[in-house]
Amino acid sequence: MADIHQESSGGADFDLSQFYQIFFEEAGENLDQMEQILLDLDLESAQDEELNGIFRCAHSIKGGAATFGFADVAELTHHMESLLDKLRRHEITPVPQMVDVLLESADASRVLLARHQAGSQDEAPSYASLVRRISELASGEAPSAPEPTPSAVSTSPAPVSQPAVVVAAPGSPVLTGQRQLLVRIGPLERVESADAIKELFRDISGLGIIADEAIDDASMRAFRVDTSSSDEDLLDLFAFHVAKEQVSITALTSPALAPASAAAQVDGDSTYGFFQDAPGLPGQISKSQTVAGHSPTSPEPNKPLSPKTPDAKAGTQPQMESATIRVAVSKVDQLINLVGELVITQAMLAQNSQDLDTAVYQQLLAGLADLDRNTRDLQESVMSIRMIPMSIVFSRFPRMLRDLANKLGKKVDLVTLGEATELDKGLVEKITDPLTHLVRNSGDHGIEMPADRLAKGKPEHGTITLSASHQGGSIVIEVKDDGRGLSREKILRKAHERGIEISEHATDAEVWQLIFAPGFSTADVVTDVSGRGVGLDVVKRNIAALNGTVEVDSSEGYGMRVSVRLPLTLAIMDGMSVGVEDEVYILPLSSVVESFQVKDEEVSTVAQGSRLVKVRDEYMPVIAMEKIFQVPRNGSDRSSTIMVVVEADGSRVALLVDELLGQHQVVVKNLESNYRKVPNVSGATILGDGRVALILDTGSLVRRARH
Amino acid sequence: MNVTDKKDSSASSGAREYLTFRLDKEEYGIDILKVQEIRGYEPPTRIAHAPEFIKGVVNLRGTIVPIVDMRIKFNCAHAEYDNFTVVIILNLRERVVGVVVDSVSDVMELASEHIQAAPDIESAIDSTCIYGLGSVNDRMLILLDIEKLMSSVEMGLVSAGE
Repeated sequence: MADIHQESSGGADFDLSQFYQIFFEEAGENLDQMEQILLDLDLESAQDEELNGIFRCAHSIKGGAATFGFADVAELTHHMESLLDKLRRHEITPVPQMVDVLLESADASRVLLARHQAGSQDEAPSYASLVRRISELASGEAPSAPEPTPSAVSTSPAPVSQPAVVVAAPGSPVLTGQRQLLVRIGPLERVESADAIKELFRDISGLGIIADEAIDDASMRAFRVDTSSSDEDLLDLFAFHVAKEQVSITALTSPALAPASAAAQVDGDSTYGFFQDAPGLPGQISKSQTVAGHSPTSPEPNKPLSPKTPDAKAGTQPQMESATIRVAVSKVDQLINLVGELVITQAMLAQNSQDLDTAVYQQLLAGLADLDRNTRDLQESVMSIRMIPMSIVFSRFPRMLRDLANKLGKKVDLVTLGEATELDKGLVEKITDPLTHLVRNSGDHGIEMPADRLAKGKPEHGTITLSASHQGGSIVIEVKDDGRGLSREKILRKAHERGIEISEHATDAEVWQLIFAPGFSTADVVTDVSGRGVGLDVVKRNIAALNGTVEVDSSEGYGMRVSVRLPLTLAIMDGMSVGVEDEVYILPLSSVVESFQVKDEEVSTVAQGSRLVKVRDEYMPVIAMEKIFQVPRNGSDRSSTIMVVVEADGSRVALLVDELLGQHQVVVKNLESNYRKVPNVSGATILGDGRVALILDTGSLVRRARH
Repeated sequence: MNVTDKKDSSASSGAREYLTFRLDKEEYGIDILKVQEIRGYEPPTRIAHAPEFIKGVVNLRGTIVPIVDMRIKFNCAHAEYDNFTVVIILNLRERVVGVVVDSVSDVMELASEHIQAAPDIESAIDSTCIYGLGSVNDRMLILLDIEKLMSSVEMGLVSAGE
């Protein structure tokens, strides 16, 4: 029904893959973060903040995975999320197994993601056992789940080497399930101390059953243990009474579980033989999975990371590769500042070498020319790091509008212009939501039903135009539709109903601003798309928070245009430098229309004040720079004789300056970070000689002259 | 483990280091931890409609930094700019600001017992911005709470509405 074309200057198709990459990166980050928190988690005193943090990570991955249709990842993370949700609501108490299973699930998610990223068609590793274990833990009915151990134990070992087991042998219950173990302790000087271990089993409910076992050596003790705890947990528990080195654990039953078994073997010879008791166990795996009990005197959390399982299958797993790196914005900013310094130094060298004899200093001058070119390239590349094109934002809309049009039974074309316009990354992220709202608004309220449009003599297809451009040191993003437009009468009537005071003779612009009032809606019917009057006020507030402005222009029956004007916080701008006495000011080149020399008699005054100049049949206000910026003349005989016509917000003024100095790219610097807002100035920049020049805010100059 | 270290530092606790500078004949001290660097004076870019003591802004390695002439703010008789004029770049909590002074003299350690509260006096600045008076070898040192002074509305570095 709806028909959407995207007529874009760049001809870019709607490309989901660019979002895939972002998702994979973000998911990777989330997994890393989750792992970090899990590893640092102290089960005894888990902070809500930490639990919430893990939950958020899982939740983000789930949301992203579901959006992009990675059902397996979404399912797995969904289960993790349910478990975490119960944890953070304190419905269940955290136990070490949960940490283990969550870490394993994180690794499994990583494997699944890597598979998607590589577009691998191979059979996905099964995660069913993980899901089951998570569910068991979440329901709290896992018979095997022991009480929290009385020490901060076992968050670090095992998990890292575990995933290989999960991948290699899907479905094998590694930790849960009862096992019968033979525990040997000794040789001990005071063999009685081993008996304390029996008390552990008595004191900690759920740990299991322990029974004495006969042993020949008088300095040793042996026990038969029925437990569901992992060997690591047991070892950590036993460490309260006997050194880990003196404990050896051997499985008596369930050989399938052996991979997870850890024998504390410092003295390999004396314990090696135990493995032969486990029938059917491939020796190679048992060896690789054997985690040497770490010495209690030097607990190294990183130690378990190092023994990499030589798993043949793991070698073929697609690795998460990224073609991009993510760095802190502060690092980029620092780089930009440094390059700025370099450019200034280079400019200084160029200036000082101007008078050199080219014949004598040929090599030096050639080198300087190279330096000039290289620094410029470098500056450009560095600048581009932070800048991303608007197409990133625009490419979200075709799909959204298509769905919207289908829902409403309208026919809408989307035209995007100026997608190559670059914008600071920080701004792009913040402008997306307000823009989405505006586009949706246009689609819902602006564009009429096809039949209505035909009746009005308009084409059946409504058109929404999205455009972005640099204008006067700002970026202007416009959302334009050819729909029914705003009705002045209707808005005024609503305003009166709501008790908003506004004169009947208010200008259109003032009337249009009313639509940004909180709770203001002229929609006859509230739909689930829009019409509740919530939204435009939020849009305006969000944009104002970015120091931007929103302007509305409309003509009833012909559509409306919403212009969002944002300042460039960090952008390169083409500027024209003008001189007044010996001060330099920068005008955004995009707002400069023309310049010409004037004679005094061409300027006429109105009511002894405002001066006007006639430029091609149009009288425009004259703004003398030396007056507005109080430039001291110090008795020099220079005077302003050059007019620069600048345009902003659709109107023009003529600036009176002494001289035109040239045009160049300038880096917009914030004046407010260390100082304050200066009237008529939008920012500052650093000139070639290292001096600071102020960038004029043509918008406010024009407004000043017009009102 | 660090018992001995602690003892040493506790002996000098309460003592802070101050950077001292001269404005005309008066000597002032500011917390050395607020000082980022000391530079020679270079003519700043003037800003229209700014108070007289704000000389303008300079480029400090890519950052735009406002320059305040303390001598004008403190009503000194002379405020000349020569080769000895010094700018102290302060790194305050929220901003970087440069202040122009006649000269920087010394870094001094002052124990709290050598600092007495400033009497309520009339001066060019809000007396609450004076942290105290320090006495060093019969010289009087006016200790400024530079953070408070620079963030006060009268300095014009912040908009009145903020």
